[in-house]
Amino acid sequence: MKKLMIVLVSIFLLVSVASFSASAKVTLNFIEVLTSPERTDLLKEIISDFEALHPDIHINLISPPYEQADQKVTLMLNTNQPLDIVEVRDYTVKQFVNNKKLLNLESYLGSWPDSKTLLPITWQSARTVDNIAYIVPQEFYIKALFYRTDVLKELGINYVPETMSELFEMCKEITDPSKNQYGFSFRGKAWELKFSDLISGSFLDDLDTNNIYLKTDGKVYFNDPRAVEGLKLYIRFFEETTPKDAINWGFNEQVNAFVSGTAPLLIQDPDTVGLVDKMLGRDKYMVAPIPVGPSGKAYLDYGFAGLGIPSYSKYKEEAWKFIEYISSPEVNSYFCKNYGPLPIHSVTYKADPYFNTGVYLAWAYMMEHPEKYVFAKYPIDSSKWPGWPQIHEADMQSLLLGKVTIEEVVNKWTEYWQ
Amino acid sequence: MKNKNSKIFLIFLIPTFISIILLTYIPVLRGLIIAFQNYNLFDLSNIHFIGFKNFQAVLNDTNFSFLRILLNTFLWVTVSLFFQFVLGFGLALLMQKPFKGRGLYSGLVFYPWALSGFAIGLIWAWMFNGQFGIINDLLQKIGLIHQNIGFLSDPKYALISVIIANIWYGIPFFGIMLLAALQSVPLELYEAAEIDGAGHFKKLFHITIPYIKPTIISTTLLRAIWIMNFPEIIYGMTSGGPANSTNILATQMINKIYNFYDYGQGSAIGLMIMGIMIIYAIIYLKVTYLKEFEL
Amino acid sequence: MNIIKKFIRFTALMICLIFALIPLYWIIITSLKGPKEIYTFPIKYLPEIISFESYRQLFAFTNFAIYFRNSLVIALIASFGALFITLFSGYALSRYGSSFKKYILFSLFFTQMIPMFLIMVPLYKIFSQVGMIDKLITLIILYTNMMIPFSAIMAKAFFDRIPVSLEEAAQVDGCSKQQALFKIVVPLTLPGLAAIFSFSFINTWNELFLAVMFLNSDVNLTIPVALNSFISKAGIGWDIMSAGLVIALLPTMIVFAFTQRYIVAGLTRGAIKG
Repeated sequence: MKKLMIVLVSIFLLVSVASFSASAKVTLNFIEVLTSPERTDLLKEIISDFEALHPDIHINLISPPYEQADQKVTLMLNTNQPLDIVEVRDYTVKQFVNNKKLLNLESYLGSWPDSKTLLPITWQSARTVDNIAYIVPQEFYIKALFYRTDVLKELGINYVPETMSELFEMCKEITDPSKNQYGFSFRGKAWELKFSDLISGSFLDDLDTNNIYLKTDGKVYFNDPRAVEGLKLYIRFFEETTPKDAINWGFNEQVNAFVSGTAPLLIQDPDTVGLVDKMLGRDKYMVAPIPVGPSGKAYLDYGFAGLGIPSYSKYKEEAWKFIEYISSPEVNSYFCKNYGPLPIHSVTYKADPYFNTGVYLAWAYMMEHPEKYVFAKYPIDSSKWPGWPQIHEADMQSLLLGKVTIEEVVNKWTEYWQ
Repeated sequence: MKNKNSKIFLIFLIPTFISIILLTYIPVLRGLIIAFQNYNLFDLSNIHFIGFKNFQAVLNDTNFSFLRILLNTFLWVTVSLFFQFVLGFGLALLMQKPFKGRGLYSGLVFYPWALSGFAIGLIWAWMFNGQFGIINDLLQKIGLIHQNIGFLSDPKYALISVIIANIWYGIPFFGIMLLAALQSVPLELYEAAEIDGAGHFKKLFHITIPYIKPTIISTTLLRAIWIMNFPEIIYGMTSGGPANSTNILATQMINKIYNFYDYGQGSAIGLMIMGIMIIYAIIYLKVTYLKEFEL
Repeated sequence: MNIIKKFIRFTALMICLIFALIPLYWIIITSLKGPKEIYTFPIKYLPEIISFESYRQLFAFTNFAIYFRNSLVIALIASFGALFITLFSGYALSRYGSSFKKYILFSLFFTQMIPMFLIMVPLYKIFSQVGMIDKLITLIILYTNMMIPFSAIMAKAFFDRIPVSLEEAAQVDGCSKQQALFKIVVPLTLPGLAAIFSFSFINTWNELFLAVMFLNSDVNLTIPVALNSFISKAGIGWDIMSAGLVIALLPTMIVFAFTQRYIVAGLTRGAIKG
């Protein structure tokens, strides 16, 4: 009888201990915002690898539709919904910090060995707000020039444009509306300012790297005569090298025009690589560095997205474990290889041939030539930023349609940012 | 007896009203309050009452001309409504006399009603596409145009394009409702008229329309309100562009909330929408002498 | 003369049908082209090779089957729920007079004027306070509420068409009031009820903005949310999107096809000979 009792009690204790430790499993809620079917799949893969290494942590991935994802995260953070890892974009980080929803990650980064190999722009991006790191960037979006090797060859072009005027001349040369052949894959809708600022900005050499809209003398750049020249060239791109329809072209249409050959020159981010590979095939195109402007320079904006921890999260340590994992050079490189954008560690560019040959050579080149390619950021932490892209788009469309003059527009923009 | 009646009456209605009050009317009140506050998600620490400033900001918005938005809204509602009604009525008239396979036909011709506005916006955007769209292709094949038109990129054409998609969507509503109403017209009336020598038009205007007038008025009123609150097609097709040319009040509301994070201004626009609709409903009902809402 | 008339009528009917069907045809065709055939010059109206690759990708890359199930569950329960509630309300509004009636009808009608975006955030706050975000039941409740006003108005209209004399006759024959309601009146309104159900089903199946806001986890998503998430930073992937759209519109088209004959029949006045 006594023996039976001991056995029963032991079993009881074992079971309770087992269930207790089983219930000690932590579930993290991870919300992404750059949702796309392929990327979500990739994240799930990385997550299950992580879970295999950490059996006591389970991660629940939330993937809202891209178009409403930012609003979703905003709403969830503001109502303290259970979240432990949030994906934050360059232009939403300020808002989250304002509302005190992100954890200060400086101490975590300080004690993380891999942080030593982070690129300078990784640190700058992490510290976007108040010079304190609230996020760990995961990927960079930097523009480069995509071109159709086959189409250009057929049209008799055998060189790669290195300056903005060369690019324009090339596009104009091959444009023949009667054959439905154009040159430049123009962006007319949604974030078109990144393209117009790129071209206009290349006409100056004294832009402020902390705020691409300011010159080093503190004045706004829009109505500077050089910038106006750049803007005129941008308008010529629209009028002489691209279909009129392009005024409404978003990312989709730009890429479609490139893939169909209608517009064989495209300025775009590195995550376009995977897409164009799928739709076209890597043998038909190549990537070159952004053409420089008359100043011999081009100012590159570095868009990014990163991961942060909500200030009210109950599982901060576990969340950081995952962030450490996914931000390590190995995993980050794997992620970027399969999804497209640029990785965050300098070692990746040096060590991994994938990132310093072929199409990626263009970006590696731009990173290694700071005398030509200057990284500058948009004033994304300004309270004037939300809504500005829409304002710029509406004004630019009016300008391209001839409804307003250049003077009116640049003065309006200058006044806005004054 | 009256007591008992009223009691049952109320009991039957209680679930309905609990639901509507809790989940519609109370949130509306909250939304109303937000319209008078500086409720911006960019900085939630400092929300306070700002009177009519949101309304002023919307009315004086230099980037999205309010007059243009109002005009777009007006055109969106009236043009869509007019053609939906006329074409829907025409279709109903065509279908009034039974024919073989009418059941199958009505299932096919009325199906656009079953689609979501967003899906319709996407499908029509694809059809109106300036490069790969079949509308450009077909128009060129018939010889009506000679070059691709940027239907959704040219402010001249964008509004008409979204309206066409909306008309396509709304015809079935009137088709179904009016067909049903038509079938309730007693045949004796037509027979009597025919004996008197009345032709098609006389029959239509002197018998049919007067008989189903209550249905016509109710459905057009309801439909007008739904169209005004229906941004999905525009959202899917153009998001209000290009250059504010397809922006209506409802899409501008979405714009303020999604892109500017400004719930204060967004709610103010919501209030304006409601205000316009109330005024419209009152005038419409007075003018058409509708005594009771009939379907 | 008659033949010419018939011919004109036939042609007119065919034109309407073609106008209605072209978009459907085009989206189905697009879904049957492989990813590389979709963006071509000149435009292909028939695919060279019929390919189910887009559908395969749809089910491989996403949990489309789960989304389908969620949408179905939510739409069915919300539609039946709204129907059940408004059945009683509609009857009450039809049969009982009251000085309040005008105001009650107006308050139902008024809800149609309220823009969805105005109440989305306050609703979110209410439900987040009771921890009901990311639950299917929340959407069921919200959708039922969304459908109640118009369903009640429609139900009243259908009950109006049935003469009170029928119930009274049944009561003379010995039925109680409830029996009269269920045995006589309801069967006669079945077509109308089918109409209300169909209307609710279609609207709840297609609803997008509330679903995006209130649902988080992948296993809880509905089809409109899934379709919307095929729009990424890279724009619209028309291969998966067209396949998804086709599958998404199957249930509503089926429900609609079955019930629309009842809608027409049910809305017909004087369908019951006195």
